[in-house]
Amino acid sequence: MALPLSYNWRNLLIRRTTTVLTVLVIAVVVGVFSWMLGFRGALSRSLSVAGDPRTLIVLRQASTSETNSAIPPDDYNKLTQLNEEIAVDDQTGDQLKSPEMIVQVSLPRTRDLGATNANVAVRGVTNSAFAVHRNVKLLGAKPADGAMEVIVGVQAAKQFAGLAIGDTINLGYGGNRGYRVVGYFSADGGPLESEIWGPATMLMNAYMRNAYSSVALRLKDNVDPAAAIRRIEGPGIELTARTESEYWQEQTKNIGMYLMIVTFLVGVMCIAAAFSIANTMFASVAGRSREFAMLRTIGFTGRHLLTSVMIESLLLCFLGGAIGCLACGAWLALVGNTKDMFGQSTFTTLAFEIHLTPLIVGIAIGAICLVGLGGAIVPARRAARTQVVTALREA
Amino acid sequence: MTLGYVLLQNLRRNPTRTCLTGIAFALPMAIFVAAISFVVALVEIGKANERELRLGVHHKTTLINLIPQGHRAKIEALDPDRSRLAAVCGMRWFGGRVPNAPGVIQSLAADPDTFPTVYAEVDMSDADIENWTKDRQACVVGTGIAENNGWKVGDRITLTSSVPPYLSLEFHVIKIMTAPSRTNVLYFRRDFLSESLKEAGNERYADCNIFWVKCNSAAGLRALQQEIDATFANSPDETKSEDELTFAAGFAQAAGDIPGLMRVMAIVVVAIVAMVAGNTMMMSFRERTRELAVFKAIGFPNWRIVAMVLGESVMLALLGATAGIIPAVILLTAVPMRKLMPGFLPIAQLTVSPLAVGISVAIAGAVGLLAGLAPAWHTLRMQTVSALRRVGE
Repeated sequence: MALPLSYNWRNLLIRRTTTVLTVLVIAVVVGVFSWMLGFRGALSRSLSVAGDPRTLIVLRQASTSETNSAIPPDDYNKLTQLNEEIAVDDQTGDQLKSPEMIVQVSLPRTRDLGATNANVAVRGVTNSAFAVHRNVKLLGAKPADGAMEVIVGVQAAKQFAGLAIGDTINLGYGGNRGYRVVGYFSADGGPLESEIWGPATMLMNAYMRNAYSSVALRLKDNVDPAAAIRRIEGPGIELTARTESEYWQEQTKNIGMYLMIVTFLVGVMCIAAAFSIANTMFASVAGRSREFAMLRTIGFTGRHLLTSVMIESLLLCFLGGAIGCLACGAWLALVGNTKDMFGQSTFTTLAFEIHLTPLIVGIAIGAICLVGLGGAIVPARRAARTQVVTALREA
Repeated sequence: MTLGYVLLQNLRRNPTRTCLTGIAFALPMAIFVAAISFVVALVEIGKANERELRLGVHHKTTLINLIPQGHRAKIEALDPDRSRLAAVCGMRWFGGRVPNAPGVIQSLAADPDTFPTVYAEVDMSDADIENWTKDRQACVVGTGIAENNGWKVGDRITLTSSVPPYLSLEFHVIKIMTAPSRTNVLYFRRDFLSESLKEAGNERYADCNIFWVKCNSAAGLRALQQEIDATFANSPDETKSEDELTFAAGFAQAAGDIPGLMRVMAIVVVAIVAMVAGNTMMMSFRERTRELAVFKAIGFPNWRIVAMVLGESVMLALLGATAGIIPAVILLTAVPMRKLMPGFLPIAQLTVSPLAVGISVAIAGAVGLLAGLAPAWHTLRMQTVSALRRVGE
């Protein structure tokens, strides 16, 4: 029979200071770790939602993002040739293609009470945009035709100031045309939620533009996206295209850099935590050699002792992990869970929210338990190898 | 028996523990050095920019909107006798791309006449200014960009703009900028860009994204900030003026707020190392309670015993810190950080500042003291008799 859990538990209680300090080290590491996982998760979720492999983003040749692309109406009309590829609307029979224009507006962040501004994307769209971007759901009114009205993505409304329903934002190349916010829309948490949408014709007038920035197309179900892209890039059309998923992955490449830095830092801290746990367990084992000898004498095997020490370390990790996750949750709830990142080539901001999902908590605690096992293995083996006679003779 | 000798013996008494603590202390400390170096570098650049007293005037809607070049004369007219402003330099974003290379180089077209004055830190010699004035295609390149692309003075380079109408222009490198705040930008002459845009049929060929106003004093800068925005209020092109620090902060935020992240990391690291050190000190104190009681019993004064406990913990912390700082310094010096940094953070090479090392050592010392406080306090309050009777808990 194995040693009872209460034995480990009481052991931890006896050396209270050491236990508390070790648990706190673990908690801090897990707190940072789970924040990072949350950040990562929020970002990749946002991007995976964006990625509809049946949607293509068409840009001017050699452009890398909608912001620096320009598609004149003539080029847009060439896309009509793609009868084979583009899906059609069941009711009207129109091709599902959405010409769009992107501009930016600088708005104060609510996160720091307007100390800094973010570049928010403003997308001029036609009615077909809602048929092509299927995940976009209107939550309220739609801009009336020909009115100076816009709708706002839920994430943008939350993270940037002055986008409440009824507010007016100034757009246009002179920045002096007021557009009223009439409703919100959601996009399953994708990047479109960080944008402001308005009627394309009005916005193009306001910005004195005669070219679209990009065209989004919905492909028929049996069409291979790669083949469609080849057609678009080939003679006759000479534009460039990417699937929506690829497009957003590309736009946020620079964020990967940031993630790499954070991951590296957290990794180093995890290693440090392992050493700290090892230290604690060594001390705990060293102080108990007589106890272990006694346990061996009454019939517990070395394996029992090894398991027992490992379990003790897991208890520490569990406790620390739970506190760390709670602290991270509290931080997100109190300090704020909104974050935005800059797509370097789009020059616009992708806003998202960090949430601690059960999965993240599980991964964080699981990871720290592995770290704890790593840290406890050497002291545990030392405990298992306790020489009964010598240990009993020790002072 | 000197104090130093006792301390060393104590650290050697349990080599496993000293090593484990050292490593658990060193790793976070290494992060700390890097994080602090980073923050120090950014603060230094911010300070340098602040000293330059430049005010950025851009369109209220967004930096991307163009403002008429006529704004320059209107800004200059606010201070006809040049008592508050020294010069105004209009700029337009070009966003050059090296053919077949990823990424956009921060390239800007700047008014040739005022650029050397407004960007004094570029430190153009008379010969540089002569080249700049003589050669329409002259450009000055930040050292980070030059190194990444292997450019040197005298090279002819071609860049393709990343914004409509996507011009491809050839430039002549006349100077490499080494000022820390200018390592990741390229400037060329705006008249050259305007002509090229005009040829390409761009209607707004002469307009700017931003005007940088070089001011003579901080007070003058604040006053001009108000006046400039008031001048253009309710006009077709309203402006927003920001000092360079605020302007840069917006971008730093957008890059995921790396400075903020580094600050949080630094705090986290201090918390971790404090607890690691405290833990070890508590352990070694527990083991040595009797020993310390013996010292007390044979008449050692309290201060010596406290010094012994505190000294050991400070020494341990400093050892751990050294073990973290040295590799971090070597690594940061050897690895070119500019490859890792988002392009709009002006850090070409993260060098470890002596200040950062100083702060790290000071923090380690403070953490060591802190970690020794509890055991030292226990020592002072220890009843010799009961301590001698106690068998380590």
